[in-house]
Amino acid sequence: MADAVFLALSVITIGSAIAALELRSLIYGSIALMGTLGGIAGFFLLLDSPFVAMFQIAVYVGSIAVLILFTVMLVKRELIFKKIEDKRRKFAGIGLMLVLMVGLGSVILDSGIKSITTDEPAVDFRDIGADFLTYYWPALILMALILAGSVTGALVLARREDVGNEQRAN
Amino acid sequence: MLEISSTPLVIIAILGTIGVILPIISIARKETGSNSFYAVIAFAALIVSIGYVAYQFVTEHVLPSALFSEDVLVDDAFGGFFAIAMLIVAIFTTVGSFNYMRKQNHPAVYYSLILLSTIGMVLVAYSTDLVMLFVAWELMSIPTYVLAGFMKRNPSSNEAALKYFLFGALSSAIIVYGISISYGLTGSTNIGEVIQGYSTLDPSFLPLALLSVGLFIAGFGFKMGLVPFHMWLPDTYEGAPTPITTLLAAGTKKAGFAAAIRIIILGMVALNLDWTLALGIIAVMTMTIGNIAAIMQKNLARMLAYSSIGHAGYILIGLAVAPFSSMGIQGSMYHILNHAVMKGAAFIAVGGIVTTLAVTNLDKLKGLGRRMPITSLGLVISLLALAGVPPLNGFWSKLMLFGGALDASSSLSWAPWLAIAGVLNSALSLAYYGWIMRKMYFEGETEKRVSEPKSVIAVMIFSMIFMVALGVYPDPIIKFVEMASPTIGLGITP
Repeated sequence: MADAVFLALSVITIGSAIAALELRSLIYGSIALMGTLGGIAGFFLLLDSPFVAMFQIAVYVGSIAVLILFTVMLVKRELIFKKIEDKRRKFAGIGLMLVLMVGLGSVILDSGIKSITTDEPAVDFRDIGADFLTYYWPALILMALILAGSVTGALVLARREDVGNEQRAN
Repeated sequence: MLEISSTPLVIIAILGTIGVILPIISIARKETGSNSFYAVIAFAALIVSIGYVAYQFVTEHVLPSALFSEDVLVDDAFGGFFAIAMLIVAIFTTVGSFNYMRKQNHPAVYYSLILLSTIGMVLVAYSTDLVMLFVAWELMSIPTYVLAGFMKRNPSSNEAALKYFLFGALSSAIIVYGISISYGLTGSTNIGEVIQGYSTLDPSFLPLALLSVGLFIAGFGFKMGLVPFHMWLPDTYEGAPTPITTLLAAGTKKAGFAAAIRIIILGMVALNLDWTLALGIIAVMTMTIGNIAAIMQKNLARMLAYSSIGHAGYILIGLAVAPFSSMGIQGSMYHILNHAVMKGAAFIAVGGIVTTLAVTNLDKLKGLGRRMPITSLGLVISLLALAGVPPLNGFWSKLMLFGGALDASSSLSWAPWLAIAGVLNSALSLAYYGWIMRKMYFEGETEKRVSEPKSVIAVMIFSMIFMVALGVYPDPIIKFVEMASPTIGLGITP
């Protein structure tokens, strides 16, 4: 049963990722991206991590993908996109991906990974929280700094320089 | 247990506080603050930080190179050594930006992002846990994606940022994949426990362990600019604002090496792998491709970018022979420090030339020696030091690197070839550095002297003193390197 669910999730995740890249319409592409992010949430559920799955849906599917969708709808499309297609590069990319997939897959399948069985209970989200406040506390501070840097950086990049503060206020 | 006064935590406190406060000050002042106001605050924060690292060394509050610890960070000499190198680069970048940012918007955010990225670089070197290392890696990278594209109206800056971001995101994803496999195999993210787990691993899991080490090499290799992961580097270094190129070439790249020493080398040693040949081949390919491509460039920034790839190859020689010669790892660390100053000075000089004369094409550098004498002198000395000409500092670190390769010849019969390749590549690099010097001093007759940016002059004077003084009298720095370098041998366990 788990194998079938895993396969279905893989098809949804990879299929919608390819659709997100290939679809001409940015709106449909963004919706396909939601499928990818939702598929990853499914993997977390399959791995007995409902807490992470919930956050994956809340943060990625619920916030980030919706934000991307709104941005696409609000920004003039011709300003951000110029279609350049190089078929040779595309096929080279697909070929490289297949080589990597086969290579990584064979290494993983050849190892003793199939012999691993575990009956350990799923990690409680309270333990994750406790770890972040004890062992990983410096990492938690750095994450706050990453968020601060990302937000200020994004604001500066997104800000239109040809509009004055007064116009902006109006 | 980490003490609150330990160096990495104090650096987070100083640079993190100032880094977050700068944009707030900017908003409070309704963006009327001048560029130099924010630059001076950032500069002061960096000086206090490097002063604290030096103070910790002088008062012997720093552990010997531990490499492993029970915490996510360790306040050891290895981390302190890299912290000094990174903070020097951050100071160069900040001072070099005084002039560059004069007419640009959002100086507060610009300096804030430099400080945040510096925390990331420094913390990568202090990390003894994979999660901590990854978070520090991201803190180092994300601000630099924005900084590379800071000149929003400049298409090359946008291209640089986009390429850098895409390759950076890919490298981060590869690193996370490596971390997830090593966590799956050992049940821990602590580097010491991971390596201990690797050394007692069931043989059937060895391919997976190898895969994780390979993913780390690829992930960190992108930032280090190793061939074949170097494709993004020339375009990004050329298109990004020149002071930010300094930060990338001399700072983030070195953080990649710090992470490599912490994880890849030790992981491979714990797995008892014969990895030296693979790293040796990558080293020779990297230095040769970097130097040959540099010869063909017409743009100064692009030439220095390729030269930077070449130097990653030299540094890798030391890592390749590390288990068989202590001089190898010492040479690598010595060259990392020297390269930070040499390449930092060269890129700041290029930044000064760009802002003053708006040229980077080599053909337009004719008579630069007369137009900008101090900047030119600084550039020439840094180029000679990069080529490894005695008695400059670059000579000693290359000597140590190539000596390490010869020293390892009793165990590795092919190791002397690394030294030969290094010497030949150094000679090759002298050819294109010499070409720049010829343009600057022996071509062009009528050019008049122009006013040179004071901030660039300050960086040039400091770096010239560093390169010449530590070239003539290298003993103190060699002792420092010996003290900070870890002992790596086959079968090492935490």
